[in-house]
Amino acid sequence: MTAAVPLCDERMTAGPGGDFRWCAGAMQNETKPRRTLIRPRQRRPAAAVAALTMAAGAVLAGCGGSAGTGVRSEPAPSASAHAKDKKVLWLGDSIAGVEALPLGAALKASGVGFRNDSSDGGGTIVEGDKMSLPIARSTWKRLRKDLASYRPDVLAYQITTYDWGTPQQQRASYEKLAKAAGNAGADLVIVSAPPFKVDDFYKKHAADIESAPKAAAKVADADGAKVAFADASALWGTDAGAAKAQRSADGIHSCQQGSAAFAKWFTERLGKRYGFAPAPPDEWATGPWVSNQRYAKLGCK
Amino acid sequence: MLLFHAGYLRGGFLGVDLFFVLSGFLITGLLLSETGRAGRIDLAAFWARRARRLLPALVVMGVATLLLAWAFGSPSLLAFALDDAPWAAAQAVNWHFIAEQVGYWNASDTRLFSHLWSIAVEWQFYLAWPLVVLAAGRGRRGEHRVAGLAVVGAVASLALMIMFDNAVDTTRVYEGTDTRAFSLLLGAAAATRPVRARLARVPRQAGHVLCAVLACGLVASWALTDGQHAPGLFEGGMFLHSLAAAVLIAALAAAPDGHAGRVLGSVVPRGLGELSYGLYLWHWPVYLLLPPDVLGFGGLPRTAVLIAVSLAAAALSKRLVEDPVRFRARWATGRRGLAVLAATAVVAAGVWVAIPQPRLGAGTVDVHRLMEP
Repeated sequence: MTAAVPLCDERMTAGPGGDFRWCAGAMQNETKPRRTLIRPRQRRPAAAVAALTMAAGAVLAGCGGSAGTGVRSEPAPSASAHAKDKKVLWLGDSIAGVEALPLGAALKASGVGFRNDSSDGGGTIVEGDKMSLPIARSTWKRLRKDLASYRPDVLAYQITTYDWGTPQQQRASYEKLAKAAGNAGADLVIVSAPPFKVDDFYKKHAADIESAPKAAAKVADADGAKVAFADASALWGTDAGAAKAQRSADGIHSCQQGSAAFAKWFTERLGKRYGFAPAPPDEWATGPWVSNQRYAKLGCK
Repeated sequence: MLLFHAGYLRGGFLGVDLFFVLSGFLITGLLLSETGRAGRIDLAAFWARRARRLLPALVVMGVATLLLAWAFGSPSLLAFALDDAPWAAAQAVNWHFIAEQVGYWNASDTRLFSHLWSIAVEWQFYLAWPLVVLAAGRGRRGEHRVAGLAVVGAVASLALMIMFDNAVDTTRVYEGTDTRAFSLLLGAAAATRPVRARLARVPRQAGHVLCAVLACGLVASWALTDGQHAPGLFEGGMFLHSLAAAVLIAALAAAPDGHAGRVLGSVVPRGLGELSYGLYLWHWPVYLLLPPDVLGFGGLPRTAVLIAVSLAAAALSKRLVEDPVRFRARWATGRRGLAVLAATAVVAAGVWVAIPQPRLGAGTVDVHRLMEP
């Protein structure tokens, strides 16, 4: 199993831990943001939009810049006050499902709205082979409804273990996702899947699993500031069997600690990009979500 | 099943399929016999007999397992046991597991009652099938109608299995009453006069060869089927297994004195058959409550201990619970039987309520570790 490869190193900006790669805004001007990250809507105060625009634009400027162009890693101080205006719709498979519990807790503690739209045994949007296509159809049907009803500012999609198809099909599907997000007034953030055990079930799709993050990164490269790709290998590494990957006994999902680690990592990245201050882990990491039975099903404590 | 659950016989799960076929054959034979004799079926008496046969051992195993899980099990084992118990009591736990996607999560070994899905399927069959036999089985061609309905139902069930087949999560096809009904219905068809008459016309020696070939074929399928993801399993493979089992059972009933009949009717298979219900009920909780870290050893020695403990529990269940209620307890029949059943349900529910819900996930997140760079 190979996890996402760093496809846009020359454009990356390092987070506090130096481990994060945003690949959005590849061709953008280094000093001027090309767009507002939060699409203005009638119901939002113009001042809030302006503040978010400035804060997010500053982050994106760093994303597109090379060394020495003034990477901005902290959100604008005023931006966190407007975090409540933001909403994240989270999409993926059951790996995303176990991450959704602390991610929702972390984002809500940070004042960001969150809806979990992940699906156990499904969740892919890739209209690829005969296995993934029916799953994708079901995901798209639900997603269209949720985009219309929830009106998120950010559609966050974690590449699933079922993103099976040719690289062309994968890319076309991610482009379709970006378009759907854009039409709904949302940004798209695609995050690579964690490394997971490629057992007999997944073995015949190993090439698809490897090509999916590359296709996603290309879409982010091509789509400017509207689409971002987050390479989670910085958090998990690339070896599913290593301690860093924090997989549960099944080698695929994460237990509470690993899920919380992802929530912290991803919330920090979203905070940096969208200008809000992530709540510290002691405010959410030991909340009621740790007792969810999903983890017990995985053999976690 | 015992070997399959111990990780030694990859196709051993097909034993449940054989059990369904056998059950369909026996129950339908009894129902048709009563129809032929009395011209009707006393449904209340039928269900009461089924309850006396199945519920006492089930209740004892269920309550004991809850108490053992409370005393010795992990918090997650207890939590799931408490969650699943009402569904098991309602004989609908298979649908609960389908909703929970236990197959997708590969979570059977976190649930002490996960094996009870097949008992639930049995009960649902017991509730529905006698009504069909009652409606269709009377009259001169009653058994032909029952055979026809059973075959049509089996084919429809196969179609549902193919329709719901999903490589990602097999729980729906594996545990659905509708998708597994073909095993029971093929067994039912095998018990009808038209099928028995056809098999009776098979020359005796040919019948013996047929039995031997089918028995060997079934054993080979258990050895060669590579788990529940075996190709074609849910696209006709399991149906063929059921069909072979149904023909074997009917052929053995027609000519029981061949080699296969003598082997299957010998002391050990008969003894295991008499213990089979208790063995099935007890083996899975025993397996989960005695993991390698509790016993201090694994592998074959652990399997031997697990099977020995399961056999002992099954023997005790038969001697102290099943046989007394079936053959000796006058209080287990009629209105007194209903009252005892209600009192037992109250006691079991009381145990279920009294056991505190365990706290899952406590101390699983180290915040300081999260803060590390």
